[in-house]
Amino acid sequence: MMGKEIVALIGTGQTKFKTHYADKTYVELAQDAAKLALDDAGMEPGEIDAVVFSMAPTQFMGVNDCDRWATSHVWGAGKPFMRIHAGGATGGSALHAGYIHIASGMYRNVLVVGADRVAETPDAQHVLNLIWDRFYEHDFALNTVTMTALAAQRYMSRYGMTEEQFARVVVRARKNAMGNPYAHLRGDITVDDVLNSPRVAYPYKRFDICPRSSGAAAVVLSNLDVAKAKCSRPAFVNGVSAITHSVFMGDRMGVYSDTEFSDHDGEHIAAHEAYRQAGITDPSSQIQVAELYDPFSTFQFPMLESLGFCGRGRAAAISDAGGWDLHSGHVAVGPSGGTLCTNPIGVTGLVRVVDAANQVMGKSGQNQVKGVKNTVATAAGGSTQFFTVTVLGEDYTAPGKSVGGAQQ
Amino acid sequence: MDVFIIGQAIHPPAARIGDKRLEELVFDTAHAALADAGVRRAQIDHVTIAGCDELDGRSISSMLLAAPAGAQLRDEMKCTDSGLTGLCVEAMRLESGIFELGLLVSWCKPSTAPLEDVMRMRCEPFYTRPIGLNMAITDGLFAQAAGAEYGFDEYGADEAVQDCYRRASHNPRGMRHAVPGVADIATSPYVAAPLRRAHQAPITDGAVAMVVVSGDWLKRNPRARPLARVSGIGWRNEEYDLGRERLAGLKSFRGAIGDSLGRAGLKDCGALDLIELDSQTGFHELAYRAALGEQAPAAISPSGGAFAQNPYFCTGLINAAEAVLQVAGQAGPVQVAGARHAMAHGCHGFAQQGNVAVILESA
Repeated sequence: MMGKEIVALIGTGQTKFKTHYADKTYVELAQDAAKLALDDAGMEPGEIDAVVFSMAPTQFMGVNDCDRWATSHVWGAGKPFMRIHAGGATGGSALHAGYIHIASGMYRNVLVVGADRVAETPDAQHVLNLIWDRFYEHDFALNTVTMTALAAQRYMSRYGMTEEQFARVVVRARKNAMGNPYAHLRGDITVDDVLNSPRVAYPYKRFDICPRSSGAAAVVLSNLDVAKAKCSRPAFVNGVSAITHSVFMGDRMGVYSDTEFSDHDGEHIAAHEAYRQAGITDPSSQIQVAELYDPFSTFQFPMLESLGFCGRGRAAAISDAGGWDLHSGHVAVGPSGGTLCTNPIGVTGLVRVVDAANQVMGKSGQNQVKGVKNTVATAAGGSTQFFTVTVLGEDYTAPGKSVGGAQQ
Repeated sequence: MDVFIIGQAIHPPAARIGDKRLEELVFDTAHAALADAGVRRAQIDHVTIAGCDELDGRSISSMLLAAPAGAQLRDEMKCTDSGLTGLCVEAMRLESGIFELGLLVSWCKPSTAPLEDVMRMRCEPFYTRPIGLNMAITDGLFAQAAGAEYGFDEYGADEAVQDCYRRASHNPRGMRHAVPGVADIATSPYVAAPLRRAHQAPITDGAVAMVVVSGDWLKRNPRARPLARVSGIGWRNEEYDLGRERLAGLKSFRGAIGDSLGRAGLKDCGALDLIELDSQTGFHELAYRAALGEQAPAAISPSGGAFAQNPYFCTGLINAAEAVLQVAGQAGPVQVAGARHAMAHGCHGFAQQGNVAVILESA
């Protein structure tokens, strides 16, 4: 059961993603995505009641609170307009903010839009060092690469994964991305290509790590009445949930911790609630596509396990057997190529929603999975401490009262 | 709207809160709000936070501040526009029917991140950054345009500022700045003509938190005593570019107020007992008063508004907390007799690009 009003996603838009856009400003990129989503929804800007802007740290692109600059370009001037920011989970959280605009009954049509230019800074990992605690963590060489490498080492130790198994994730993602015209990285590479790429931080090699992407994404959300009038095949937003952890990784492991850091099990808590809202009781049989926030090759396995697609420590073996492959697997994981191939941080979570929605709406081109009824899109951010889970479906779940929020 | 505030806390302001880390400031405020509401953190099902990375001096500041704000293992959402926008987000989350009991926390500690440095970097790099635009200059442009539109000048602003300080001097939750003489204001140095230094509300550190619940939760918990009902919310943005119409039109101010009145079922601001304005300068105070016109309620900013305390990002939410106290009859020396309907206003961005309005009613 969900909110008071049914929420449908009726339009999607995304630009091509690449390292630099020398021919467009930040706000022009955001406008491109907004225009694409509006066109897809068959709407004029004047039909949009409110705008939610998706943007994570602005230090990458160099203009503080850059959403204010973009207000007019995404047709938000004169309208209710707000920005949501949850680090890497921003796009997922922004979608949830758009959702409550409509589920509350306050608005009919909401544009959720954002853009990022991560490569505007010469050293994104320096910026990402500044996210840590000033007194205890800055002076370590801690950034998102080394942080997640530590978690990957712990996951490998707990479940016995190998670098080869992570390399197969990269090979599958790059191959899937070949069918996605918007993806940043793509290609027919081999496990050896991944293993032989330059070492960055054990177990990571360069190919295990996402690119720094520039680009934009947008969706149009509407209530049921508008969706019926405007869209023959909407993607209904049937489950939305998020969970936040402490920043301190050491507090998220060991016998006294509520959760296990290396398992990404905050995502399990959020998924449990989102599935409850959407009426998903058996993800493996009810969900056909998973679009994950997986900027590193090591993220997929613990995330798939947290989402309930298999037991702890089982995802790698299923991967080896082709169980997550695009057209022949049991669940298509990252048919777009996912975050490993495209990571404009401030909108990546929204790109995951766009790709998951397109699968429900039958608009994924050569990467379209057959018989899609439900998809799940995730986002993760901070010290892998913010997680969002969104469940999209071809049918809507009945509106009604539910008491949300995961409790431990 | 079926949304109620059952507890809140305003951290004592200071020009510089030097004895606490930002995490401690946030934790103490969130903890005090929960205590005021008589609920435990374990009971809340979500957290909304409103904060600004740049003013916090950290990228993704919620990484360190979400847990002190009570969000450990909770569904948390952060907006970056203003503290009062956070109250709008929180109200929508409850109205959506998914949540029932939430904690809203907002803070600002500009003593560690100089406001004007942050604002200068809000300029886009092609036109406004090279010419050195900043907050003071945009406020000066606003003062010129609004003064021409509504017929006031800097002498009027001098008197308006003194009046703000006079009201603020009675507010026990404010800084209790000394009330300056008009001559002192009129001879303070220009920062961007006609804006003088003394026309600007002094920036402070501060934080505020509220415990907010749905009507359903309140029915099931009859021992809880609501302080106020959130009956109307509205927020609008305007263009980033500063043309004359943009500066003097006050479109988003009027729009946000109109939206909140409509949701509250009120005809106009004349139905309010008071409004707490977010006037960052004396010119803002005059412009907002002019825009309210004859419909203005009898009491305007009894708390003194930004001249009582001004933790810039969350000053609007401080206004909401003051409005809650008013309709609960707990505003102390600045209480407006018989107050039942109060509006809190907040603004944000260059020359108030965004405006927010929330109406609180006696519960």
